[in-house]
Amino acid sequence: MNAGMRSRRAQLTIALVALVLGFLSIVQLRAQAGGAGLGNLSTQDLTTLIANLNQRNGQLSSEVTALSAQVRALQQARARGDSAAGDLRADLTRTRLWAGLDPVTGRGVVVECAGPLTADEANDLLNELRVAGAEALSVESVRVVTGTVVAGPPGGLSVENAALPDPFRVTAIGNSINLTAALTRVGGIVSRLQVTSPAVRLTVTPSDAVVVPATDRSLLPADGRPRL
Amino acid sequence: MSGEGARPGRALRELWGRVRRVPGWQFTLAAALLVLGFLMTAQAGAEPSRVQYTSQERPPLVETATQLQAQQDALKAQILDLRAQVEQLEASSAGSDALVTSLNDELQGARLAAGLVDLQGPGVVVQLEDSTQAVPPGAAPGDYLVGAADLRTVVDELWLDGGEAIAINGERVTAISGITDIGSSILLNGTYLQPPYQVVAIGPADLYDRLMASAGFASFVRARVEAYGIRLGAGSLDTAVVPAYAGAVALGYARPLESAAPGGPAAASPAASTRAGSPVAATPPGRPAGSARP
Repeated sequence: MNAGMRSRRAQLTIALVALVLGFLSIVQLRAQAGGAGLGNLSTQDLTTLIANLNQRNGQLSSEVTALSAQVRALQQARARGDSAAGDLRADLTRTRLWAGLDPVTGRGVVVECAGPLTADEANDLLNELRVAGAEALSVESVRVVTGTVVAGPPGGLSVENAALPDPFRVTAIGNSINLTAALTRVGGIVSRLQVTSPAVRLTVTPSDAVVVPATDRSLLPADGRPRL
Repeated sequence: MSGEGARPGRALRELWGRVRRVPGWQFTLAAALLVLGFLMTAQAGAEPSRVQYTSQERPPLVETATQLQAQQDALKAQILDLRAQVEQLEASSAGSDALVTSLNDELQGARLAAGLVDLQGPGVVVQLEDSTQAVPPGAAPGDYLVGAADLRTVVDELWLDGGEAIAINGERVTAISGITDIGSSILLNGTYLQPPYQVVAIGPADLYDRLMASAGFASFVRARVEAYGIRLGAGSLDTAVVPAYAGAVALGYARPLESAAPGGPAAASPAASTRAGSPVAATPPGRPAGSARP
């Protein structure tokens, strides 16, 4: 009986120690793992990331405010028994412009691309403009919508089966100062191409009013269906 | 003192005998306590470095970034919820009105075109992960990580092969979605993407075969997977799901080109073109935008 008690106490002690041990191991592992990918970033990159997240969250907050106002307007129209046709039309106009279904105009930049650009360099340029906040883009007369990609060999580029001339023009609507700065900054695409493709020349011209056409495509999914 | 030379052997034997009488559980306990002590020391040892980090203002930054991400997720959920409310109110507003019905039909089409609707259909998934190869001396470590350019290449390839809706880690790729690097992290639509990167595309049933057969994808595999060991996985999906864009649909600079009316374009767009120093390819006036259906 004495021996039995001793072994039970032993088991309890071991169980307790194992418990604390397991707990501490996990704490230690967690501490070492840190914030996963974020922990690997330098202080400077973290600051840039935070600035980006902040900016994005500001845009999302504005969208929440706008949508809340839209909900209230629709509810009031219903309460009064008014037609909501005006609200619907405003929503439709905005959505169509944003999607690329209607032509748009506004401040922006025109980028003239001369020389033997690769398709990748052209798509890189489009991406840089998007990152810099472009609201609407076109390559020559083709509106850039989902699925619009520049393809083909240098000298034989095309977009949506339309051959691109040399030089060809990329037009972007947005804050022309930001767009220009993003392209022409040190390490931006203009200076990168000067090094990697000296025969290529990009000329960025800010403008108070550029025009970006509507897409020719319907943009209605053919293979996908709305998920209910 | 003189007899001591003979004693160590006996003492050792005695000690060994005593050790053999010790119950086994005590050894287990001793071993566990040893590891415990080691871990507690390690834990305590980890503290000073964390304090040191604090003085470098790193963990507060990581914490801020994490909080902002959580805030972003909440805002996106709110946007999706409000959009559902708007859609429901619009669809049920003054129901009998033929105008409202047709506006609602148009709105539904515009939302689909804008990527504001969850889609499902046949498709593919492409997963990219950082290389696990050791970086040789003198090589650039960044080459061994998945970068924004890699994701952009895969997305562009999927578009060229017939993809019609794409999301990366659940974030929808729209007409004006930019993908960019910040250090070793990647942002899409200003949203931080946590590795591994999963690109999901809806498209024709043979999208996977088209991707595998495309020269562009083959050269991507050579340049990144074979040369640097970027880990790539791809598969066909019977039902791929691409979520709706949960961001802002706001235009701060772009406004409708009202001048499609007679006489309008001559007044508005050529002036714009002159300022830009080039005849900007304008829309043929009067074309019913978006009416073309291939």
